[in-house]
Amino acid sequence: MRKINIGIIGLGNQGKIHLNNCLNMKDVNVLGVADVSRNALKLAEKKGIRNTYLNYEDLLKNNQIDSVIISLPNYLHTEATIKAAEAGKDVLLEKPLARNVSEGRLILSSAQKYGIKLMLGYEMRFIKSLMTLHDEIAGGYFGEVQFADVVNVSGGPLSSRGEGARPLAVPPWWFDKEKVGGGALLDLGSHLINLLNWYFGEVKDVKAFIGFMYNMDVEDVATCILKYKNGPLASIRVGWFSKGFFQSVQVCGTAKNVSLNLAPLSIFRVISGDIKTKLGWHKNKSIYSEIEYFIDCLRKDVNPSPSGEDGLRDLQVIELAYKTASRLDKIQEASN
Amino acid sequence: MKEAIVRSLDLINFDFKSNLHSILIKPNMCYYYHPSTGEITDPQFVSAIVDILQERFNDPEISIVEADASAMKCKYAFPMLGYDRIAKENGIKLINLSKEESTKISINIKGSKFDILIPNIFNKSDLIVNVPKIKYMDGVNISCALKNMFGCNANPGKYIYHKALNDIIVQINKHINTDLVITDGIMVCGKYTKRLNMVMSSKDPVANDAAASTLMGLNPRSVKHLASASKNGVGSMEFNPVGDFNDFIIKFPKRGAKDNIRKLAASFYSRIFY
Repeated sequence: MRKINIGIIGLGNQGKIHLNNCLNMKDVNVLGVADVSRNALKLAEKKGIRNTYLNYEDLLKNNQIDSVIISLPNYLHTEATIKAAEAGKDVLLEKPLARNVSEGRLILSSAQKYGIKLMLGYEMRFIKSLMTLHDEIAGGYFGEVQFADVVNVSGGPLSSRGEGARPLAVPPWWFDKEKVGGGALLDLGSHLINLLNWYFGEVKDVKAFIGFMYNMDVEDVATCILKYKNGPLASIRVGWFSKGFFQSVQVCGTAKNVSLNLAPLSIFRVISGDIKTKLGWHKNKSIYSEIEYFIDCLRKDVNPSPSGEDGLRDLQVIELAYKTASRLDKIQEASN
Repeated sequence: MKEAIVRSLDLINFDFKSNLHSILIKPNMCYYYHPSTGEITDPQFVSAIVDILQERFNDPEISIVEADASAMKCKYAFPMLGYDRIAKENGIKLINLSKEESTKISINIKGSKFDILIPNIFNKSDLIVNVPKIKYMDGVNISCALKNMFGCNANPGKYIYHKALNDIIVQINKHINTDLVITDGIMVCGKYTKRLNMVMSSKDPVANDAAASTLMGLNPRSVKHLASASKNGVGSMEFNPVGDFNDFIIKFPKRGAKDNIRKLAASFYSRIFY
C-alpha cells in the first residue's frame, strides 16, 4: 500500500494532536512540519521529524510531500490554503474554512483551479454515535424529524477555565476580532451547523441571539434557530463561558426521539479512553478517524467530506446569523 | 453588598479617620472566570469597597492592582472581567503591576534560588486593601488573603514558583503588608460553587486566613503557609470571630475525607496518564 507523505502546518494544540495521530498511522509518513515557534519544532524533532520549517512556504516547496494538514489561526487559513493549492498539495484544513464567506470563496476557487482535494476538519463528523444518528435520520428511524437541538458549551479558547485544567496562556489572536473572525458561533457553532447541515440539508432561514458576557470583541454566547428547507427546526446553543464542558444532541421525530450526551464523559469512558491511548489504540478517537478517512480518500482518489463547499455553506449560515442577530444584554449588567 | 461590607468593617472597628491619600486594592483575578464561579473577586464587590473608601476618606487616590500571570494577562482580564468599567465609573486607576517599577528580591528556599519582583508602588501607598476569595487549592490547601498577595509579584512567569509555593507566599507577604482584608465570600468555591453571601474583614491577613481555614473545615495549623506566615511575623493565627461566623461554618461547602481521597487518586492517575 502506497504511503501518503504528509506535512503539518501549525503545531498549536490541534496541530500537535494531528502530528501524534499521523505518527501512529502505519501508512502515513510525516515528512515535515512548520511552525513559527522554535520550541514547537524542537518537540517535533524529538518525535523524529527531520524536516522542520519556521516558514510554511518552505515546507510547501518539498516535492515529496503529497498533502498538508493546516492547523493555523483563522486569519491565516486563506493564504496558507491558497499557497498549498498552488503547490499542488491536497489539504485537510482545520475548521472553520475561513473568517468569512468572501475568504472562503477565494479558498474554494483556488482549490478548484489547482485541482486539489480539500477537506474540512470537523471532528464531530467522525464521532461514531453521531455517524449512526446520520444514518438513522436518513433511514427514517425517527420518522419525520420536527426538532433538533445541539449544545456545545465550554471555556472555548479560554480552556484553562476547565475544571482541573492547567492554566495556559491564550494565544493573543483569539482576542482580536480581526484575526479570529468571530466568537463562539464561528468556533463551536461551525461544528454544530456543519453537523445539522449534514443531517438535514439546506438552511432556509436563520434567527440568532448573541451575547458578550466577557466584554470581548467577539460573542461568547450564541443561540441560533435554523429552519431547514426540507427538514426540521433546529436550535444551536454555544458558549465559551463555562468551567465545565457540555455537548449534547437531541432529535425529536414523529416515530422516535433521542438524546445523546457527548460530554462530559463518564469516568469509565475517560479511564478506558486513556488506557486505549496509552496502549496506542487510537482508532476509537474521532480526530484519529478523521485523518484516517482523509488519507483513505487520497489513496482512493475520491473527494472527501466534509468538503470545502460544506465549509462555505456553514460560513454562509454563520454570516447570516451575525447579520441578523439580536444582541443580548451583557449578563453582568443585567444581573445588577 | 455595600451594607454588608460596611457592617463587616464596623465589626472590626476599622479606623476611617486616618489621613490617607494613596489606596491600593488587590482583588483576586487568577484567570478569565466569571464572578459567579466563585473563582475571582466580583468587580461589583470591589466597586462597593471603592464607594465606601471614597465616601469615608477625603479625596483618596484609589487604584486596583493586579500582575500578569503565566496564563492571565491584565490587558485582557481588566476589560473581560468588568474592572475597566468599574474604574471608569468610579474615576479610579487600574494598574498592571508587571508594568510597574519593582525591586528584585532573591531568596533561597531549600537550596533553590528564587527571584521575586516586589512592585515599588506598595511602598508608596498609604493603605493596602486585600480583597481575596476563599478557595481550596492543591499544594497550599487554601487560597485566601495570603495567597492573593502572591499575585502581586510582578514577574508574569509565576509557574516557576509553584514548586515552593508555600514559602514564596510567606516571603511576598513579608515584603508587602496588607493593612485590611475584605474577603469576597458572596460566591465561594468550596467542594462546589455556592452563594454564601458572606463578607469577612480583618486587619490581619493571617488571622483572616486562619478563620477562612476554619470555615473550610481545615485546621489552620495544618496549612503550611499559614503556620509559616505566623512564625515569620506576618500576623497572628489567633482570631476572635464576631458576627455570624458560626453560621457560615455550617453553610460552607466543605470537602470531606472522600473528596480528598478522590483528589489524591485523580492526581496519582494524572501522573500516570498525562
